[in-house]
Amino acid sequence: MAEVIKGDALRIPSREPEFVRRVEELSGEDVFACYQCGKCSAGCPFTTGMDLLPAEVLRLLQLGDERVLESRSPWVCASCLACEVRCPKGVDIAKVMEALRLLVLRKGETGLTWREIPPGVPQIALVGATRKLTP
Amino acid sequence: MTRIPYFPGCALKDQAAGFERAARAALEKLGWELAELPRWNCCGTVYSLSSDDLMRHVAPVRNFIRVQELGEEKLVALCAMCYNTLRRSSLFVAEDPERLRRINAFMDEEPDYEGGVEVLHLLQLLRDEIGYEEIEAKVERPLYGLRVAPYYGCMLLRPREVGIDDPDRPEVMELLFEYLGAEAVDSPHKVECCGAYQTVSNPWIARERVREIVGAAARRGADLIVTSCPLCTYNLEQHQLPNTREEKGARNGIPVIYFTQLLAFALGVQDEELGFEGAAIDPRPVLAQRVGG
Ligand code: SF4
Ligand code: SF4
Repeated sequence: MAEVIKGDALRIPSREPEFVRRVEELSGEDVFACYQCGKCSAGCPFTTGMDLLPAEVLRLLQLGDERVLESRSPWVCASCLACEVRCPKGVDIAKVMEALRLLVLRKGETGLTWREIPPGVPQIALVGATRKLTP
Repeated sequence: MTRIPYFPGCALKDQAAGFERAARAALEKLGWELAELPRWNCCGTVYSLSSDDLMRHVAPVRNFIRVQELGEEKLVALCAMCYNTLRRSSLFVAEDPERLRRINAFMDEEPDYEGGVEVLHLLQLLRDEIGYEEIEAKVERPLYGLRVAPYYGCMLLRPREVGIDDPDRPEVMELLFEYLGAEAVDSPHKVECCGAYQTVSNPWIARERVREIVGAAARRGADLIVTSCPLCTYNLEQHQLPNTREEKGARNGIPVIYFTQLLAFALGVQDEELGFEGAAIDPRPVLAQRVGG
């Protein structure tokens, strides 16, 4: 299969900050492939808890804007993949969200906020939350 | 009896015991036996989405080695989360021999995994290997008059490579319900996430999700919601808010059961084997009212 050049036309390597390169490396995704159609944001069922819509997360990464690193959105994302199956450019946004979490988690910080373990909650919820939201 | 290796996972030995019990009883009626995988371990729970984290695939691969030791090639899961994580990991190591080589080298106490285990979900077995017509022929208590809303959530459908049906318009559960005599209630929210593990960290998100999902099923007159995941079930039961209960006009809300329980009920399995006592909202009254004993 011929190699598909996805977002390279938009990329200015000399202006690409290190954190954007890290996000692309950790996620294996090309953030410049996104052409801002907004389908991911339209279908994401978690946007009421987000400060940046999924497409906005991609846009700030393209711009190298560090505000994306402070965003709450990756911590609200539940890796449900509604965006992934719909993106016309084949961007796996859930992987980008995971990479943004990992930049924080790999410094030893946690993103899990809980006061108590809800009674009767299945183990898969606890293991899932700790695997996605703690170092 | 046809035997197939079966991966239970933690929830089916605990909160979701009824999911497994009903599956065993229903499959027995169909001439199949779930042979529990010896020495199974955690499936990994959530699939790692990072490119550099081979460690997260050790748990699934260990389970595949158990299947290989039996000389078998297939492994069936009931829990949708187990299915998804196991199936994705099986593809992840199949895609790149170097990944598998490193995982095998890390687990030097185990024989090498050679690849080739196929992970299936029980719904696929019912649809593709047993066949819905075969199932229809064995129905003892047809579910005429029962309105059932399937809830797929994420893990059976996404990503596409592991989805057991069309990610936007699945029908594997609808068809099963119809072959059992029930009416399938459609809803646009049936493929939307229930909030998943965010129920621990941000419970309000799960509450909001469930209000939409259950509210839509209630407005369409569903008697029951049917799932294939213990975490979906937990969220859909626990976060049913008073307003959705009122919309349905039933003080106790809409019962949430597993597809294996509905199947077993229709196949005439004894009440003790249906595992309904584990449900937060008892489905027995509505089943008795619509279908009878
Ligand atoms: S769906 Fe894909 S292309 Fe469209 S905005 Fe989202 S990431 Fe970009
Ligand atoms: S994976 Fe995350 S960003 Fe994508 S739709 Fe689901 S919650 Fe939204």
